[in-house]
Amino acid sequence: MLVSLNWLQQYVTVEAEPRDIAHALTMAGLEVEGVHDRFAHLETVVVGEIVSAEPVKGSDHLQVCKVDAGQQTFQVVCGAPNARAGLKAPLALQGTELPDGAIIAKGKLMGVVSEGMLCSEKELELGVASGGIMELDPALPTGQNLAMALNLSDTIFELGITPNRSDCLSMIGVARELSAIYGVEMRLPDISLPEDGEPVQDITSVDILDPDHCPRYAARVIKGIKIGPSPAWLAQSLLAVGVRPISNIVDVTNYVMMETGQPLHAFDFDLLEEGRIVVRLAEKGEKFITLDSRDNELEPDMLMICDGKKAVALAGVMGGLNSEINDNTTNVLIESAHFSPMSVRKTAKRLGYHTEASHRFERGADHEGVLFAAQRAAQLMLQTAGGVCAKGAVDAHPVTVEKAEITLSASRTNVILGTDISYDRIVKYLESVNMEVETLDQDLMMVRPPVYRVDVSRPEDLMEEVARLFGYDNIPTTWPAAAMEIHRADPVRDFGLKLRTALCGQGFREAINYSFVAADTPDRLQLSEKDKRRQTLPILNPLTEDQAVMRTSLLPGLFASVAVNVNYQNKDLALFEIGKTFIAEKGQELPTETESLCLVLSGANISQSWHGKAVRTDFYDLKGCCETLLAGLHIVDAAYARLSDDTAPYLTKGQCAEILSREKRVGVLGKVRPEVLKKFDIKQDVFVAEIDVTSLLEAVPEKITYEAPPRFPATDRDITIISDKAVEADAVLAHIRKMNHEWVRSLEVVAVYEGDPVPEGKKSLSFRITYRSDTTTLQDKEVNEVHEGIGKEVMSTFAAA
Amino acid sequence: MKTKIQELRTQALAEIQSAGDAKAIDELNIRFLGRKGLVNDLLKGMAKIPADEKPLVGSLANELKKDLQDAFAKATESFDSGNGTADAIDVTLPGRPGKVGGLHPLTTINLEICDIFTRLGFDIAQGPEVELDYYNFEALNFPKDHPARDMQDTFFVSDNVVLRTHTSPMQVRTMEKQAPPVRVIAPGKVYRCDSDITHTPMFAQVEGLVVDKGISFADLKGVLTTLIHQIFDNKTPLRFRPSFFPFTEPSAEVDIGCVMCKGKGCRVCSQTGWLEILGSGMVHPKVFEFVGYDTSQISGFAFGMGVERIAMLKYGIDDIRKYYENDVRFLNQF
Repeated sequence: MLVSLNWLQQYVTVEAEPRDIAHALTMAGLEVEGVHDRFAHLETVVVGEIVSAEPVKGSDHLQVCKVDAGQQTFQVVCGAPNARAGLKAPLALQGTELPDGAIIAKGKLMGVVSEGMLCSEKELELGVASGGIMELDPALPTGQNLAMALNLSDTIFELGITPNRSDCLSMIGVARELSAIYGVEMRLPDISLPEDGEPVQDITSVDILDPDHCPRYAARVIKGIKIGPSPAWLAQSLLAVGVRPISNIVDVTNYVMMETGQPLHAFDFDLLEEGRIVVRLAEKGEKFITLDSRDNELEPDMLMICDGKKAVALAGVMGGLNSEINDNTTNVLIESAHFSPMSVRKTAKRLGYHTEASHRFERGADHEGVLFAAQRAAQLMLQTAGGVCAKGAVDAHPVTVEKAEITLSASRTNVILGTDISYDRIVKYLESVNMEVETLDQDLMMVRPPVYRVDVSRPEDLMEEVARLFGYDNIPTTWPAAAMEIHRADPVRDFGLKLRTALCGQGFREAINYSFVAADTPDRLQLSEKDKRRQTLPILNPLTEDQAVMRTSLLPGLFASVAVNVNYQNKDLALFEIGKTFIAEKGQELPTETESLCLVLSGANISQSWHGKAVRTDFYDLKGCCETLLAGLHIVDAAYARLSDDTAPYLTKGQCAEILSREKRVGVLGKVRPEVLKKFDIKQDVFVAEIDVTSLLEAVPEKITYEAPPRFPATDRDITIISDKAVEADAVLAHIRKMNHEWVRSLEVVAVYEGDPVPEGKKSLSFRITYRSDTTTLQDKEVNEVHEGIGKEVMSTFAAA
Repeated sequence: MKTKIQELRTQALAEIQSAGDAKAIDELNIRFLGRKGLVNDLLKGMAKIPADEKPLVGSLANELKKDLQDAFAKATESFDSGNGTADAIDVTLPGRPGKVGGLHPLTTINLEICDIFTRLGFDIAQGPEVELDYYNFEALNFPKDHPARDMQDTFFVSDNVVLRTHTSPMQVRTMEKQAPPVRVIAPGKVYRCDSDITHTPMFAQVEGLVVDKGISFADLKGVLTTLIHQIFDNKTPLRFRPSFFPFTEPSAEVDIGCVMCKGKGCRVCSQTGWLEILGSGMVHPKVFEFVGYDTSQISGFAFGMGVERIAMLKYGIDDIRKYYENDVRFLNQF
């Protein structure tokens, strides 16, 4: 909200620099987000005197003027009909930025050089007149700065009013705060007015059919007004706070709203059928055209202002086209009402409106302020539009509001704030913001906040008042005394940290992607129909199509990361992400959130250097990373098996595996199918491993038990077989393990070879077996015997015929 | 004997001088100083000389040994430092590259914040990112159809389920499970439907909650001052100013002196010299009522902060969207 310092000074006199006032407001809870000089744009605008004005050849309205600017005379081409020699008018010099954003520069108009611009009131935002250039008082000194000459100065504060402080959505509201902060008197405007017309009750009536939504409705009637432009002071005031002047009657309603915070509406009284007001709920299927010419379909719980026959306004939101003030209006009915915040908010939200009026009603207007505002508006309308005011106001208020009564304890206040503020001082602070305070005993007081303080209903609300008036800066800085106790840390979080650290050590960069993805990602991943990852959770109001559902896999996000990087020519990638995936479950309000880990390798595993050529990443690079990761976690029983089900249809058949621990799957890894990558705009090979963090954590041994290093030496023996190509190394190893010889300590694949002289369709596999005994140093002979036995067994099982 | 020693010295030095390479020096070294070398041969004759001459000859012999050792060392060194010998390599060539990984900067800052609080004795809690309206709003004193809900642009999953707009639901979830005293922080991802140069639809927050007997606003100031001084430095100025959050009363926003311009005013702080960094306040009694805490006995404070903002200030990152693009040219810098 914009607030003008000049306007505030009408109600309160504060002797302080604008910057200091801004700071004081901020520290009292009315955050000042900006401080502007209202007339900054006049810095290079001077009082110019037109010395001569000659028509421009070939133009029917342009004149070339010589304008005296004091030190210098400028040539200005001007199209205003009133430009004439001898006239003093505002001259905007080169470099001036007008409020509409135009910058004045030297230029040519119809071939004639123009060195500045003679301006209208509207162009300088000093008024609404735009028919010609502004005619200045001839007595003003030529060449003087315009703002100085006209004695114009004002500071505009840009306030961010929090939703609880609806009482500060007005000049008077902000002035009240200043009065409390600076301890100065508050002056409310005198609202006396002549009421020369007939009694208002004889002219109109107000019937409230729904007091819940409309607890109060006041109306005043003025007859015989004349619609016209607002006087300068009124237009200026509105412009200063960013409201566009329209006509005297409308401007007065806006002015009084900005002044008091009470939204007003003015009806053309003659357009109200039967000349009366009825407040009722809309009927089902009812339609209504608002001031902005929008045709709204109403719902039965929307509150309508009606005349004797039809709806004339959307209560608290916007007036209707059928009763708006127009050039022919002579009689006016002023509405100053109180509507329930909930009702206005629901209506405005559903119809997509957010108006100055709805903004204030939603947050809570002053129930007791309606008559003041109606009378203030009537007074100003008489002043600016003439007419005769009917005697009195209709004031329908089926619901009355009692002031809240809150018991506050001074000692509790000091406990909560950590302060030592005296009882009397607390009383003083509360009274400075117009609270009635009644002493109950040495500690307790009964506090009645003013009705407009809709945010104050509990002792804690009063404590905040005390705190902010005492000054948050003045509250001491202390530290809580806490017992030295400790709770067990969240194992999943700790494990996540461990994984991150390990992966960073293996050369992976951590990525973080958005948790939402495009709805078609399951299709792009070619997931099977029954795959759980098709159970996506849609967002009702996504920002973009690419962020329409919660992710059920980390893959799409990391694919996007790969695509982005490849696009930037960073083709060699090792990324990981740890984050949640979300599976929607039938009959379950919240989705199942699972912590997942995904590794991605792409491009070269070893880049080209003087040490050698680049080596492309392959399956075994990624598998090695997984093995290293699991080994670091002491998961010694991990196994990798060919993935044969349809868990990962996005992986290349024959180049994917599952990671098992104690026969339970903890993840999968493999090469992504190129046609899947294509759908994510990736053209190079990508290898991924997906690991379920919780399952992996379960695979980690609970404790580490030390074993003494072996006392007796080990000895190695190799074995080589020629087998069918299809035989998997692990099958051979498993077979040897199954033989379960007590000396066999470890098994290793040392060579795999295909090609000459190994026959087509076969391969040569070499294994190394390490033998060791716990009780003695093994002799070559006995090892050889055992090794031969194993060799025979392996040959007979696996060797190609 | 003395003469013999002198002759041997002359001979050795001459031969060292004329040796052509390190290999020749090695051979000479063995010939003269080896176990069966000429010097030792000479010394075998020591037994035959008169006893009164022995000390003098002995010291001369030792001198010879030492001088020759020095001469050989020097000669070897001179050949080593020369170019073109077989063992020399170009040590300026790059080594075989290892792989360097790294944490995402948001993780790093997150860990830093968590570390500060665990040192202060806080627990760390985590909770669901898709959250019930009850925890995200209702129990935090955001009634339905209240304008305070407009403060947070919400992603909806259904009437009753939202993507959490802040980590504050963890206040309620924690208090539901645990009786006071409570000292907990809850880091996590949160979501708001807003996207521009300063907003991403997903971002990271850390929530904090302290509940105990006699916890005061002054304590809030103390703990948050400690936090800021740990994250930035001890000289960073702070200011607490009144604000509004439905779930705290009194509420405070915390600004720090702009770390870019040191309070002089710059683009980052919109010329104010201050940067908003935290929301905080004393836990609203309504929140305590929702979880069944006795408000006459206990009090508490809560706070929440955006991790991106802190990382931006610490590293000088100027576009929040960079965090979620995962451009390795960005990631590699952390």
